[in-house]
Amino acid sequence: MADRVLEIDRVSKRYAHVEALHELSFEVRAGELFGFVGPNGAGKTTTMRIVLGVLAADAGEVRWGGEPITFATRRRIGYMPEERGLYPSMGVTEQLVYLAELHGMRARDARAATARWLERLGLGDRGGEQLQKLSQGNQQRVQLAAALLFSPDVLVLDEPFSGLDPVAVDVMSDVLREQADAGISVLFSSHQLELVEELCDRVGIIRGGRMLAAGSVEELRSGSAPRYWVDVPMAAAGWAEKVPGAAVVRMEGSRTLVELQAAAGDQVLLQAALATGPVREFRRDTPTLTELFRTVITEETAA
Amino acid sequence: MSGTAPERAGLSPRRAVYLIARREFATRIRGKVFIIGTIVAVALLALYAVLQLAVIDRINTTTTFNVAFSGSTTALAQPLEAAAPSLGFKVHVSDVATEAQGRSEVRAGSLDALVVGTPGAPQAVVETGIDPTLQAALVALAKQDVLSNDLSAAGLSPAAVESQVDAVSLHLDTLHPATAAQLQGPIIGFVMAFALYLFIGIYGSVIGQGVVAEKASRVVEILLSTVRPGQLLLGKVVGIGLVGLIQLGIIAVCGLLFTVPTGVLALPGAAIGAVAIGVMWFVLGFILYALMLAATASLVSRVEEVSSATVPVSMLLVVTWLLAYVVAIPAIDAVTGGGAVSPGLETLTTVISLIPPFTPVLMSIRMAAGEVPLWEGLLAIVLVLASIVGMTWLGARIYANSILRFGARIKLTDALRRSR
Ligand SMILES: Nc1ncnc2c1ncn2[C@@H]1O[C@H](COP(=O)(O)OP(=O)(O)OP(=O)(O)O)[C@@H](O)[C@H]1O
Ligand SMILES: [Mg+2]
Repeated sequence: MADRVLEIDRVSKRYAHVEALHELSFEVRAGELFGFVGPNGAGKTTTMRIVLGVLAADAGEVRWGGEPITFATRRRIGYMPEERGLYPSMGVTEQLVYLAELHGMRARDARAATARWLERLGLGDRGGEQLQKLSQGNQQRVQLAAALLFSPDVLVLDEPFSGLDPVAVDVMSDVLREQADAGISVLFSSHQLELVEELCDRVGIIRGGRMLAAGSVEELRSGSAPRYWVDVPMAAAGWAEKVPGAAVVRMEGSRTLVELQAAAGDQVLLQAALATGPVREFRRDTPTLTELFRTVITEETAA
Repeated sequence: MSGTAPERAGLSPRRAVYLIARREFATRIRGKVFIIGTIVAVALLALYAVLQLAVIDRINTTTTFNVAFSGSTTALAQPLEAAAPSLGFKVHVSDVATEAQGRSEVRAGSLDALVVGTPGAPQAVVETGIDPTLQAALVALAKQDVLSNDLSAAGLSPAAVESQVDAVSLHLDTLHPATAAQLQGPIIGFVMAFALYLFIGIYGSVIGQGVVAEKASRVVEILLSTVRPGQLLLGKVVGIGLVGLIQLGIIAVCGLLFTVPTGVLALPGAAIGAVAIGVMWFVLGFILYALMLAATASLVSRVEEVSSATVPVSMLLVVTWLLAYVVAIPAIDAVTGGGAVSPGLETLTTVISLIPPFTPVLMSIRMAAGEVPLWEGLLAIVLVLASIVGMTWLGARIYANSILRFGARIKLTDALRRSR
């Protein structure tokens, strides 16, 4: 299992006037759901296209199982491009079977897999219809089926959740989780950070073609300065600033969010709070991915 | 868990091309261009055949002349009736009591002609004029009557002389024999060259549209993650080309079925060779042009822009067709032996028909006429095959570099230079 890793190693890509990727590196391990997040134009789509060989990198390497990725190994990747696209006037089943065959499946297996996935994605009775007769969300399910049909070893999905209703989001989440649990490396991009936080084993935050932070949400949190919510109704304004190593992030009524330089300072902060009178709340704040994302992005901008 | 990769590694390039071609074939054979095009063409052919039959029918329905004889000219009545079928008309001989009655019948239109006078010097009374065939027949009979009388007067048997005269014929010693098949060669070649020209025009645009439709619907991004651009290109050309060939085959067979019974066109064995050569040029020419059309079409992102993007290739095709006239003249002259072809024109013909984009159309005319030396024919085939190989590479490069760049039209030089 350990060797089944998708590695993106110092990949760079320049368009005429833009450096889309600058020595970008990260890895997606087998059985792992990797969430790829970053602002618009960060380079997510470019990275995925390079992994799929749809674009060529200027420098760097993509490896699968330790070997540079080849045309044959790419065929083992299920891909959902950002710009969805299938044949609009071709039947759903017909084109799924075709795509599966293009990925090396025998016709009979391709038909069986198509029927199975359409059923699983709630489109069991729509196989005979032209794709364009389906709603946008249902077309997206077909697109997912196209990526999954041939039992790929790696899944690369560009914003698979965009445009889905809550039920479809659940179906998509379940499918991705299940695929990862079956040992497949899943890389997907998304702007829905709550979803990514909930679903992913690891997250990569990219901006300007560089990986700013990568790791589990827990690891990302541990990398950021600890914050505490303190509710001290009797305190005079500015009490927290007097604590060494503490900075006030913001105030909400009588509650103050305090950031410490080191987690070790929490006892000092608590004593300072108690010194002002009764303490109604003293809680370590666990930042959401959204908050971590903002912090990382703004820090980088400042730097 | 998913350790199945090694067993399932296989999608050979050939199978990739086959799968793509099969899809194109299955889609296009149900498409408008094929179904409507075939129905219209076959209907036109049927209409043409029916018209031909009607024309032949009209020729076959022979006119009948109402003729009356008066006095001694009645001796001409029986010979005229006997001669009529071989001259392509019928005669209905009416009796008239008097010459005056005959004249009034001519005036009334119930008689076409009233013959008076003597058998040796007949006089025809007609209203406005006489049918030339009828006139010629009457003149011939009168001459014969004069001749027979003179022969008898000289003591010869008119019947014996007649049979001797009939035995005389012209013996032809042809120095430059042109068989029917040879004469049909250039015509068949010309028809096939025109069909090739039309076929490339129609199915070439189907290919161009298909390329851009895949680009516009973005399905190409998924396809290119599993097949190479060259395979995609080749599969499209093969699949769509086959549909075109089938359509042509149907039209050709229907054409033969409709025309052979009417005798409009006989297809002698020798002409089949010309057809076989034509089919070969069809295939080679179509592949060459289809590759060029697909590559240039891939420069744009919207189906409406296809025809403007492919203008250079369509122009080349039109120029080829114009050149066909230049080439056809020496080709036909070579067969008919008519008029000396200047050596300059001959050299020019040879050179331009060896330039690959021109070769398929021009060679299908010249080879059908049978005036191409073997070495030249083989060289032409080799050159076209080489240019197909070159164009597959070049076309695939342009295609690969353009197919994922959506939006504004891409410059050809850009598409050639850039790698994806
Ligand atoms: N074909 C192209 N030509 C020129 N520049 C391009 C091209 N494609 C992408 N770029 C540029 O490359 C950079 C990275 O784009 P990319 O599409 O990878 O971003 P992304 O992270 O996927 O953004 P989004 O979240 O909006 O999808 C952007 O600055 C973009 O403008
Ligand atoms: Mg993107």
